[in-house]
Amino acid sequence: MDFASNITISALFQQALVGLSRTTILFIVASGLSLILGVLRIPNVAHGSLYMIGAFIMYSVNHFFGGGQAGFWMAVLLSPVAVALISLAVERGLFQYLYEREHLMLLLFTFSITLVFGDLVKMVWGSDYRCVDLPAAFQGFFTILGFPFPRYNLFLIIIGPVVAFGLWFLTNKTRIGKIARAAAVDREMVGAIGINVSLVFAAVFVIGCFLAGLGGALVAPTQNIRQGMDHAIIIEAFLIVIMGGLGNIWGALLGALIFGLTDSIGILVWPQFAIVFPYVVVVIALLFCPKGLLKSTW
Amino acid sequence: MVKESILSERSAWKALAPWLAVFVLLLLAPRFLPRFQVYLTGLILTTGLLAVSLNLVLGLGGMYQFHHAVFYGIGAYTVALVITKTALSPWIGFLLAPVVSALFSLAIGLICVRLSKLYFGMLQISLGSLVWAVVFRWYSFTGGDDGIHGISVPGIISSTDGAYYFSLILTAICLIVMQRIVNSPFGRSFQAVRDNPVRSEAVGINVKRVQLTGMVISGAFAGIAGSMFVVIEGSVFPELMFWTLSLEIIIMCLLGGWFTFLGPMLGAAIIVLLRTVVGIYTEYWTIVLGLVLMLLILFLPQGVLGYFLESYKRGGGKAVQEER
Amino acid sequence: MLLVENLQKSFDGFMAVSDARLEVEKGEVVAVIGPNGAGKTTLFNLITGQLRADGGRILFKGENIAGLSPYLICRKGIGRSFQVVNIFSRLTVFENVRVAVMSCNKRTFSLFSKAKETSVYETGEILKSLGLTEKADRISGSLSHGDQKVLEIAIALGNRPELLILDEPTAGMSPEETRDTLELMKLLSRERGITILFCEHDMELVFSIANRIMVMQRGRTIIQGEPDVVRNDTHVQEAYLGGADEGI
Repeated sequence: MDFASNITISALFQQALVGLSRTTILFIVASGLSLILGVLRIPNVAHGSLYMIGAFIMYSVNHFFGGGQAGFWMAVLLSPVAVALISLAVERGLFQYLYEREHLMLLLFTFSITLVFGDLVKMVWGSDYRCVDLPAAFQGFFTILGFPFPRYNLFLIIIGPVVAFGLWFLTNKTRIGKIARAAAVDREMVGAIGINVSLVFAAVFVIGCFLAGLGGALVAPTQNIRQGMDHAIIIEAFLIVIMGGLGNIWGALLGALIFGLTDSIGILVWPQFAIVFPYVVVVIALLFCPKGLLKSTW
Repeated sequence: MVKESILSERSAWKALAPWLAVFVLLLLAPRFLPRFQVYLTGLILTTGLLAVSLNLVLGLGGMYQFHHAVFYGIGAYTVALVITKTALSPWIGFLLAPVVSALFSLAIGLICVRLSKLYFGMLQISLGSLVWAVVFRWYSFTGGDDGIHGISVPGIISSTDGAYYFSLILTAICLIVMQRIVNSPFGRSFQAVRDNPVRSEAVGINVKRVQLTGMVISGAFAGIAGSMFVVIEGSVFPELMFWTLSLEIIIMCLLGGWFTFLGPMLGAAIIVLLRTVVGIYTEYWTIVLGLVLMLLILFLPQGVLGYFLESYKRGGGKAVQEER
Repeated sequence: MLLVENLQKSFDGFMAVSDARLEVEKGEVVAVIGPNGAGKTTLFNLITGQLRADGGRILFKGENIAGLSPYLICRKGIGRSFQVVNIFSRLTVFENVRVAVMSCNKRTFSLFSKAKETSVYETGEILKSLGLTEKADRISGSLSHGDQKVLEIAIALGNRPELLILDEPTAGMSPEETRDTLELMKLLSRERGITILFCEHDMELVFSIANRIMVMQRGRTIIQGEPDVVRNDTHVQEAYLGGADEGI
């Protein structure tokens, strides 16, 4: 085994940047999951499916507009919106009737949605791999400190903090955010002062799913879009949320950062089992802080 | 008092009689069933044992064991690896399967058991997925995503009938032992922990240790189920420990009803049969499963067996209550 | 037997217990009284380990038990009941008590013996002495509130405690049930020699049974002494009459 023989400063630096762009995707998906988990107390397994659907819609919209600049931007904007609409339909049509049930039932219900969506995606898009070509502006490399770095990855690294700030603003500075946080702590109380809790939940659910769709749309140009990409991301998102602290946006960011970096650096150290590194970090983190690295905000 | 115990013994026999009949019927099954159906029955027993073992922690202990399939897969891989990679007798593999699964249970349990319910489940899913990922990539040892095929089990259990009898007898033994555990002081204490952990702790029960013990026991039985799978299929693959299978097993428990001992077995039978039948007509099996699950949650949350028991019991105090 | 010194506990900056002191001798019946929010339940939760103290000592038979897990404290001989009914509501009355008895007899981890044949006699005796025999097979969640409060005590007795802590044993009970509970406490104290520590709002009950009374206010122990001493103490009168806004 050529263990650790190919580690150079340059490779390390590049992998770190790749890890950072991966962080953005992980963060966007995990923060949506965390939001739903924090307010609705549901580990939404279907989150991964929505991410996958986001990626497939990105492909179709981009394809429809013939790719290029227009196709890319339309797709990035439209696919999260489409995913949000799907989730709205699911929430209003089915989910809202189940809030009083046990957590386990809700989890299984989201799993049933995963199963249905999985096959629906197969029916609509088939089981082939799909690829999205980047518009010219995003192709090629920047040179950073003498190292080549893909432009699109840099774009992703910038998007991450933007989304984080937007979410922070939404949950801390807007009325709906404040209501949602209050509802997370005490459902009945918020209901008692005349706020329609069910609608607040719907809003949170849709926003969370929107983020899943956005993550899927943004990841689409960087990898093959395929069946099963939903299964992998949801486990990673679970892990990030657990590590970061329930319902804490900055926790999700920190968790995603740790996950993304350990994963991408791990690829240098031990390519075959790079996946092991983030897990080890999570287990160590949990041994010291069983409730996650950052305090849950609600 | 003496009279009472004789009476209860007699009623115990009465309760046992139908099960004996079922067992004899299953013993005779290969004589009148075609080969495929014998194989299918063996698969149902294996999956059923897996579901019953999950229900030990899920239904009895109220723990969110979200990734039970890992222990099933580990049991299967233990047997497969002992047979293909070592010169040891295959039987040692069958003995090792529950032990290795129990050890993994212990390790994952030690990390998870300190967390509260939902966290416990989510972390368990994640850690289980790590085991899956390692198995999935370790080509030189586990065969990676291809798995290991053509595993030659000892001659006596290698035929369809042999494999069937192996799984039938093992299932019967495991069910008896598990039934015994459910009705043991430990089983009752586990139930008490499910009902009210705070109070359990206050009456001197070491709650975490009870939960850990429950996990280890349940993991061991899942390992046995895994070893049965190897005998029936002759191969192992990473899907055996993929998290979606774990949730499928939970569906089996839900479908059969988790407040009954054998409910999960019924649920497993329904799912396995449904998959076989649906598989004939369409490749879209998961959407069917998803829709079944949705309908189940919406209309029959106490499970099929639970539903019948409830309507049977109706009027005589509501013993089966929905968990909050 | 039990000695509590300088006990402190705060929740997010709120001092629920700031300086609790308490002494219980073997064989005594000691009552803790005080207005709502004085920290009585918090004190009990600290003693039996449901909460972890920020400071101070809890000595039981000369050994510091502060910071131990509840199950270890229970095994040292402290049993308790809870103010808000805290039972195994899906199990039968009999199983509720048996779980405690089995734990006390170190049978919790017996895997292959039959629960049905375990600790039957002892459990039966406890149910009999508390008048629950007839209801032994009922699901405990379906009992009346009064019966559930009695079951609380029955579960606590299952551990054969030397010190029994009762958190408002008669809360929500009818007058008859209250009287029965009082008789039960007397019986436990006199005939079984169990030391009892309890808190209660019913002053009549407190003064009719307690050997000594400890008074708490705003997380502090004001006084601990004989009933007559406590009754005539000016601080206590102030705490109760002066603090009328807090209610009794």
